[in-house]
Amino acid sequence: MRNSPFFHFLTLEFFKERKKHIGVIAISLVILFLLSSVLFISSSIRYSLEQTLEQEPDFVVQRTQGGERVSVPIEWTDGLLEIHGISSVTPRVYGRYFFKSKEDSFLVVGVDFMDEQSHKALRTIMDETDLKQFLKGENMLVGEGVSRYLKAHFYPKGYTFLTPKGAFKKVHLFKVLPKESNLIANDMIIVPIELAQEILGMSEEEVSDIAFNVPNDDEWENVEDKISSFHYDLRVVTKNDIKKAYENLYNYKGGIFLILFLITMVTFVLILYQRYSMVYSSERRHIGLLRALGWSINDVLKLKFFETMMVVVMAYVLGVALAYFYVFVLGAPLLREIFLGGVNLHNSITLVPILDFGILSSIFLIYAVPFVSAVLIPVWKIAVTDPKEAML
Amino acid sequence: MIDDVMIIIENLNKHFRSGDALSKVLKDINLEIRAGECIVLKGVSGSGKTTLLSIMAGLDRPSSGKVLVEGESISKLPDLHISHFRAQKIGMIFQHFNLFDHLTAAENVMIPLIPAGLSMDEVNQKVQKSLKLANISHKTQSTAGRLSGGEKQRVAIARALVSDPAIILCDEPTANLDRDNSLKFIDILGQLHDMGKTIVVATHDPLFDSLPFVSRIIPMEDGSLVSTVPNDTLAES
Amino acid sequence: MNEILLNNQVIVYLLSESILFGLLFIAFVITVGILVGWDFGSYSEQQFRLERRAYLVMTILLFVFTVKFLLLAYFVFAIDSLSLLVPGAMCAAGVISANDYGMLLLFLKLVILFFLLLWMALNRYDLNAKNYPLFRIKSWLFIAIFLVIAIETGIDFAYFGHIDTLEPVNCCSTLYGQLEGANPLPFGLNTMTLLILFYLLYVVVMGAALSSQRILFVAAALLFVFIAYYSVVYFFGTYIYELPTHNCPFCMLQKEYYYVGYLVWGTLFTGTYLGLISSVMEMGLKVEQGRERSVALILLSIFVLLCTAYVAVYYLRNGVFL
Repeated sequence: MRNSPFFHFLTLEFFKERKKHIGVIAISLVILFLLSSVLFISSSIRYSLEQTLEQEPDFVVQRTQGGERVSVPIEWTDGLLEIHGISSVTPRVYGRYFFKSKEDSFLVVGVDFMDEQSHKALRTIMDETDLKQFLKGENMLVGEGVSRYLKAHFYPKGYTFLTPKGAFKKVHLFKVLPKESNLIANDMIIVPIELAQEILGMSEEEVSDIAFNVPNDDEWENVEDKISSFHYDLRVVTKNDIKKAYENLYNYKGGIFLILFLITMVTFVLILYQRYSMVYSSERRHIGLLRALGWSINDVLKLKFFETMMVVVMAYVLGVALAYFYVFVLGAPLLREIFLGGVNLHNSITLVPILDFGILSSIFLIYAVPFVSAVLIPVWKIAVTDPKEAML
Repeated sequence: MIDDVMIIIENLNKHFRSGDALSKVLKDINLEIRAGECIVLKGVSGSGKTTLLSIMAGLDRPSSGKVLVEGESISKLPDLHISHFRAQKIGMIFQHFNLFDHLTAAENVMIPLIPAGLSMDEVNQKVQKSLKLANISHKTQSTAGRLSGGEKQRVAIARALVSDPAIILCDEPTANLDRDNSLKFIDILGQLHDMGKTIVVATHDPLFDSLPFVSRIIPMEDGSLVSTVPNDTLAES
Repeated sequence: MNEILLNNQVIVYLLSESILFGLLFIAFVITVGILVGWDFGSYSEQQFRLERRAYLVMTILLFVFTVKFLLLAYFVFAIDSLSLLVPGAMCAAGVISANDYGMLLLFLKLVILFFLLLWMALNRYDLNAKNYPLFRIKSWLFIAIFLVIAIETGIDFAYFGHIDTLEPVNCCSTLYGQLEGANPLPFGLNTMTLLILFYLLYVVVMGAALSSQRILFVAAALLFVFIAYYSVVYFFGTYIYELPTHNCPFCMLQKEYYYVGYLVWGTLFTGTYLGLISSVMEMGLKVEQGRERSVALILLSIFVLLCTAYVAVYYLRNGVFL
């Protein structure tokens, strides 16, 4: 290195002040670790959600009456089929089924197994299922959360639903859905449409909504306009709307968290300022001596600046690395509940490792900028130490 | 040889203000030191000799008056320049050695060279040369804190010499040394004089009273120079 | 509006800008003190105090410059990721034009960076002189910079606070596209003449620099930046996107294009800034700035090479031009 005597001395200096530095690094580590973990978890879930959302149909047509959602008459499908540019029109039947305890509920999803699926994930699931066997009897596909619940409540082979009409319907458990679909399918029960209608108390002409795709992005606005004019009580929800809603939710949650975090940072900064300002007379003599021996203020500033950066970079790298390990290798044992909380059943999704430049730079900026700002003035104060101090 | 004037001090005054009280530490000092000369400022503590030395070294600034070194005024130089001046032209030896105890002798000696941006090899070369000159190269890797008083002083000398400065300033260099080490120190000082360096020693140690290479002994009392007493034992050159 | 201000990156950005402003305010107060009380010839304690305080201003400015430089890239990055929240925006272009403050903000940032760099160059000269000859110029320049940054910080908040997440904005194809046959290029140039001017000016800039024709250099460099902007947006950019109708200065900053936008705009502006400042220093202060000039020339050359390379690679791969 061009200036290796300088860096040699820098290392010696750093080592000499190591007690002070290690204290600061330790606190920084805690802060950075928490911050990074939260950001990693949230962005990983967001990413998984985005992936899942990609597979949602582009458009969903619903019916509202008096502000409430009601079932959609199946004739509406005909009107949709006539519009150009629309593909895979799928009437869907789904609803919440509450178990005896009234606390746990599952999402019952009815699927027309004969038809083209607008939901790509369902398509994959169906491709893997032996449909002939499945359709022979009253069977259901369940998500992991459901299967666990059923097992826990001693329903290993199937379940007898109590329909709103008062009848009982026995359904066999055919297969458990794969782990990868857990984000959406954890508490899902998939049955043929007619069965779903029965369980949920809907007639054969009723569906919950109608989904379809519009492959050409530019047509979306057109299609939305056209369809909205079909019926007065028709409501269109686009995939973009959902995306935006989720984005807003994450932004909101993330923003609140960040603001809380800032309060911690303020405390941290104050501690830093105080710590670095506490210059013992020995350090003043120390710097005074350097100055007496020919070090200019610039030289001392350079030394102190590099010392600070070493602390910052060390804490940053360690903090982020530890967080990465905690979140993506250990699966973030305690923190994940904050984000996955609010989901009905215990969800065991795997967090996909996301290393985003945006997150890394955000973490760095929110840590390094306040840090260096806090120590700027104390460092300057000590750098301008009068060399006379050495004579004392 | 002893021809041009190295240090010129004109009408130097230094006072400190504490509250309303004004304490005059240096009063109207006028002094000329020729290149290669070795002079002794003699006086008790409080006579102002340490302050005068600091001002000569550029460590402190006068309240009024001028200090010229090699023709250049140093009293109002900006920090960058005065630091450069100190690193290049001045070697200081302090009463309390002022070493970094946690560093080795070699590391202590290299400190004045660091701002210059030399390579590690060049620095090591100069450091070794200095340590040898000061007769302490056998303790290169020893931690300064573990050295004896005499050894510490020699490391301090090595440090003062490492950038080959033209001027050596010593503030009570033998105050913390026993007689034996003091004599050794004076020996080295003689060698430095032979090398052509300009030396100023501020001391009240009687050992400096009759040294062959000292051209003048200047008593200081209460911030003023009393008179210039030429050293009778110095042979005319 | 709420969603924007709660976005992670926006919070981090605004926080950083606020902290910088706080530091600059301290520097401002000190600078005013310096302007009022400075008397270099004096031996008074106050003068020495001012000289020491001047070092604090220097330190703050150096820090602010470094962070503002990073924040510019971060700002663009943040805006780009906001395009998900703003309807109609596909890239930063749409978000920047979401209200009137956007482009103004960007422009201010570029101006501020230039003047900060100039200040640092002046400061270096000043420190090396023996009597701080430039302290007055430096101080007034800093005060001017401070005022501009104060405005910029205000606009930061105004801009982000007024981004509507309900009103759709125009995306780059509307903003930069060649609609209805209207020519977006200045002086009524067409693409061919634009390119000729681009390379011609580059040669002039290099030539003027190497033969120390400073005034010519400054004029050519300024013109070059202007022409280069249009060249990148309306010609070279299309080769980056490999789409003849995609004219956008911001899309190339995205991941799909390997973030090459940062390199393209970075080399162009940094090179121009360094070149201009070194010329100003040489003309005004008679200081030799050979090294800075070389760096500037290298950066500009990298810029031109990069742009040309995209075209060349496309042609080599496809055998035709767009």
